[in-house]
Amino acid sequence: MKIIVAIKQVPERDAQVRIDAAAKWIEESGLQHALNESDAYALEEALQLKEKHGGEVVVLIAGPERVGPTIREALAKGADRAIHIDCADLGKLDALGVARLLAAAIKPENPDLVLTGLQSDDLGQGQTGVILAELLGLPHSSLILHVEKTDAGLTVKRELEEGWFQTIELPAPAVLTIQSGGNKLRYATLMGIKRARSKPVLQVAEAELAVDAAPVVVLERVALPQKQKSTQILSGTPKDAAAALVEKLKFEARVL
Amino acid sequence: MLLLTATLAEPQYFSLAEKLLLVVLVAASAGGFWLRFRVVLDKILKSKKDASFHLFPISKRVWDFLWEVAFQAKVIRQRPLPGLAHAFVFWGFCAFVLVTLNHFASGLGFGFLDPAGCFGRFYYGFAAVFALACAVGILGLFIRRFLVRPKWLGKKLSYQSGFIAFLIFLLMVTYLAAFFVSDAAPATRVLWWVHTLALLTFLPIIPHTKHLHLVLSPATVFLSRGSFSRIPPLDGDEDFGLVAGTDLTWLVSLQAYSCVECGRCMEHCPAANTGKLLNPKEIILGLRGYLNDLGPKSEEPLLGKYNPQEAPFQCTTCGACEFQCPVGIEHLPILVGLRRGAVNTGAWEDDYGSKLFLALERGANAHGLPASERDKFIEKAGLPIFDGTQEYCLWLGCMGGYDPKGREIISDFARVMNYLGTSFGVLRKEKCCGDPVRRLGNDLVFQQLAEANLEAFAQNKVKKVVSICPHCVRTLQEDWKDYGTPPPVEHHSEFLARFADMLPRSVGPGLSPGIGTADSEGALQAPEKLVECVSKELFVSGHDFSRAENAAKSSGALASAATPSKPEKIVFHDPCYLGRYRNVYKQPRTVVKRAGELVEAPRSHERSFCCGAGGGLVFLGDETGERIGKVRAAELVATGASVIGTACPFCNSIFRDALAEQGEGAPQLLDIAQLTARGLPVSGAS
Amino acid sequence: MSGIWVVLEEREGRIGRISWEAVVAGQKLAALTGLAANAIVIGAQTEALAAEVAAKAVGKVVRVEHPLLAAYTADGFTLALQQFIEKERPAYVVFPHTYQVRDYAPALAARLGQVLIGDVTAIGEGPVFTRQLMQGRLNGSYRHTGDGPCLISVQAGAFRAEELAAAATGTAEVTVFSPSIEPARIRTKPSERFRGAAQTVDLTAAQMIVGVGRGIKDADKLPLVQELATALGAELGASRPICDNGWLPMERQIGSSGQTISPKLYIALGISGAIQHLVGIKGSQCVVAINKDPDAPIFEAADYGIVGDLAELVPALTEAVKAAAQQ
Repeated sequence: MKIIVAIKQVPERDAQVRIDAAAKWIEESGLQHALNESDAYALEEALQLKEKHGGEVVVLIAGPERVGPTIREALAKGADRAIHIDCADLGKLDALGVARLLAAAIKPENPDLVLTGLQSDDLGQGQTGVILAELLGLPHSSLILHVEKTDAGLTVKRELEEGWFQTIELPAPAVLTIQSGGNKLRYATLMGIKRARSKPVLQVAEAELAVDAAPVVVLERVALPQKQKSTQILSGTPKDAAAALVEKLKFEARVL
Repeated sequence: MLLLTATLAEPQYFSLAEKLLLVVLVAASAGGFWLRFRVVLDKILKSKKDASFHLFPISKRVWDFLWEVAFQAKVIRQRPLPGLAHAFVFWGFCAFVLVTLNHFASGLGFGFLDPAGCFGRFYYGFAAVFALACAVGILGLFIRRFLVRPKWLGKKLSYQSGFIAFLIFLLMVTYLAAFFVSDAAPATRVLWWVHTLALLTFLPIIPHTKHLHLVLSPATVFLSRGSFSRIPPLDGDEDFGLVAGTDLTWLVSLQAYSCVECGRCMEHCPAANTGKLLNPKEIILGLRGYLNDLGPKSEEPLLGKYNPQEAPFQCTTCGACEFQCPVGIEHLPILVGLRRGAVNTGAWEDDYGSKLFLALERGANAHGLPASERDKFIEKAGLPIFDGTQEYCLWLGCMGGYDPKGREIISDFARVMNYLGTSFGVLRKEKCCGDPVRRLGNDLVFQQLAEANLEAFAQNKVKKVVSICPHCVRTLQEDWKDYGTPPPVEHHSEFLARFADMLPRSVGPGLSPGIGTADSEGALQAPEKLVECVSKELFVSGHDFSRAENAAKSSGALASAATPSKPEKIVFHDPCYLGRYRNVYKQPRTVVKRAGELVEAPRSHERSFCCGAGGGLVFLGDETGERIGKVRAAELVATGASVIGTACPFCNSIFRDALAEQGEGAPQLLDIAQLTARGLPVSGAS
Repeated sequence: MSGIWVVLEEREGRIGRISWEAVVAGQKLAALTGLAANAIVIGAQTEALAAEVAAKAVGKVVRVEHPLLAAYTADGFTLALQQFIEKERPAYVVFPHTYQVRDYAPALAARLGQVLIGDVTAIGEGPVFTRQLMQGRLNGSYRHTGDGPCLISVQAGAFRAEELAAAATGTAEVTVFSPSIEPARIRTKPSERFRGAAQTVDLTAAQMIVGVGRGIKDADKLPLVQELATALGAELGASRPICDNGWLPMERQIGSSGQTISPKLYIALGISGAIQHLVGIKGSQCVVAINKDPDAPIFEAADYGIVGDLAELVPALTEAVKAAAQQ
């Protein structure tokens, strides 16, 4: 199977959020970046499919030069090669613009399966994979926990709300967005990193993909959320605080 | 006296037939020896070259050789009685070199040491003393092995050892008996031939048994890696650790063949003593078995048939095994090497291990907590930020920065430094020092952490580091050397000991300074005042309920009135990474003695029994068998001390859990920083 | 351009609460833009659903109906709505931000050359749409530029369903729209839904819930929590990591990927208040948070909070509750 995994490098999870001077995005200086969490699960799913059925796993990433270590990490974990769309400022594109870039790079590859993470840790839109399917004209499904290859195509386990699940059958090639938590992630090993050095990384300039990028939705500004209402914090020894709470619940909130 | 005038008798004449027979027997014996020894030598020499081995500087090697081999210091010190017995056997062998040479030479007619001559009389008499000691020694060892049967010699009786013991005994007896006969007596010839046959039987047995150590162990001790638990850097792009036979270097093979199966490593191993699969002796013998069966060129995995994969991962890297080994086997590089082989290749699949590696791949600490937690602590505790101007960089570490107990220790140590007027600061950002991944064999993550931290040190112009955690101290000072030049690092016990005289004594809970000065003969404070001091102490460190829990214990202890004239008993637990790894035993005790009466645990100093947290194990899942920490805690509690003194935040957290099960009667658990800080005046807060 | 159309979603034969919230959002948008807000129900048999909707003050109701829309498929819903939008040419299409919507609305938008503004938490003058970034640590203001319909989806609990009045005069006007869908266009085959574990737990109806999060550190503290829940007569719920670990079954999960609850009282133990969880508890009348970290986001959402160690507070609270019950 030829599987393309579209990944994103995002600010690391416990990064301090400070607004930049123009109030259009967060201050990037001093930020550490990492592989987006659900993309790591997408990569893991792809690697497990390759281990079972053979083939190759290609990682595709759009971003500036700093995404280099994330590419190496993906290669170290077992991807066979990478395609890096060099794009200095992803922020100027909307979800459709980004998906168009990715689709332009995917089309010539003719993959059997395209996987993306469910959503990114920074923007959290969760749309790239679904839009990709539309642009590539492929069937898709989202919130996938498990993928199986069958003779007819693919059978996937999809997560629904409130603890329900469902299986979906669909033909390959298809696009799937992968939910976190479906697999145990593998760690990058020294052996993996050493082998990664010899794996090819194709650099593609944004301009080469000749994609219409004028955004239809624009992020105008960012702001820190307001503290909504005042919370009553009860203090003292555990015994005292507990008693005070029960008092409040009984007589003030009247829920006990 | 008969003995003083007696001389060694030897046959004056050997017939041609005897000489021929002797030649044939010697040839056969030597041939038998060589037949097997050649194989062993071959396996060792065919093993991979050891890229990190350097013969020079040679002075330490010579010293170690003299101390450990010639003086048998390790052998005697760790097991005095059997050790001394063995030492006499060894010294006997040494003393007998000339005797033996002359014995064969005279058999061929070329005897050179005349028993009647001046030197001869002296020398043979001298050797006789050793022979007697050797005979007594070997008899004692025989009794120990076959009648006493200590468990670390294994369950199976080694008849091979018994036979060798018999031969040695025979050699000594035949030698001594020769003083009581005359040259011409037929008995002399008999003794001579029995002695010869015993020797010639012994020789070929040597390479087939653990007595190979006679030949190898002097070399093994001399050729060791040069320092305790020295983990060698990986050699080139294809080196991932000890994966298969081809990864065993000649040094490892030499060590594997030197094992005498004495079981000293096993005796103090925390894993082996609590029902785990890991047994350091079996690890070494497993390698030997592998080499015997498959050789050093085999690609078969080392873990699997000869040692289960789980075994090396139950090691806390406490070092008791390597420290004890009398023949110079270095277990830790081997255990870490085996782990490296499994981890660096991804063969090790463990949920907790993966979680730890992923947490350190992405984040700053081994707990997987956001770095902002550390920032919040620094702010709350009012710790100054290191800006290049202060003398010390106070390294928080994963425990000092994130663990509630660790934070208390940091806060108290900071108070002490402030009291002394020592300037210090903490780095704005710290990544885990990498100790758990280093010991677990993940070189990729370790390199990332070491390099990132070293760069932060360089950028911040850090000149000196002090840390409350022996693991951090070791890793910063030694392991980071693989990736750069770390600044000097010391443990807070070394710092506190240096300034011990400038710090007020802190005898008993909550007593303010002025009481219990140098001669600890001060006036007793009235009980009310004592309570006042205690409640002030309660909130200075401003942290959480765990401090209150210790204070509550101490106000209970007031009833038992620990007074200046009756200081409380504090049992000090030597952390593995401070004691065996760094040779620091005195300094923490200096601190403890100023806070109370020092009590030693049955196993202390270099024999200290691990708490079980090391080797990355504290981040892995639950242990099988008995909990190592529980065993050690019970040992410490049994001393009757009312306080357990620690110098490592990991030991502290392990014992905290273990003592929690004991309920109200449990002793207090205090780090040496806390013991020191409680003697400081309350207003001396940061 | 014919105004604002809100697409409602069916939940077990009825309109789910989040859909009502979307209608309220649509009406807010209507107030801001001066356009009319209307409703769409979609499926194979939508008569009953449409009637339910028409009873509320929703403007017009359109039933987008086709046999191939019986089970949800991305292809089916996208095609049907695409045809409706191309005919009706709305200025805005409002969806509830459900798993289903996340599965097809972005594709629908792309097909129309648009981008969905998803998981909106507030609508302001402009209109400007607010959504959360960086996992709830940042708010972003989005604007739709260019021509064509603007598609948005609204976060559960961002708007209050209670604000939706009943229809002023009788019921709203209901019409039917029949899209043309060829079977070959539907490429995915969904199965019946199933539960992960055997037992069913319905937290959505529970009046009192005690939620447990990563802060309890060890599964062996769960009995303490269960004692509290029993003393209160409350159901036990959990944040995602607890269920992922297997300490509690998946159907006890509260949050964007679990159950959305609306009890009288919700006590969050050792839960930091990650956005996915807060989303699930927004409907609670009274929220109590107990956590070691005073800066945990959960305290923002709570009415009462205690900062401290769970191991001590939970038993203390259990005792206090029992004592109060005896009075």
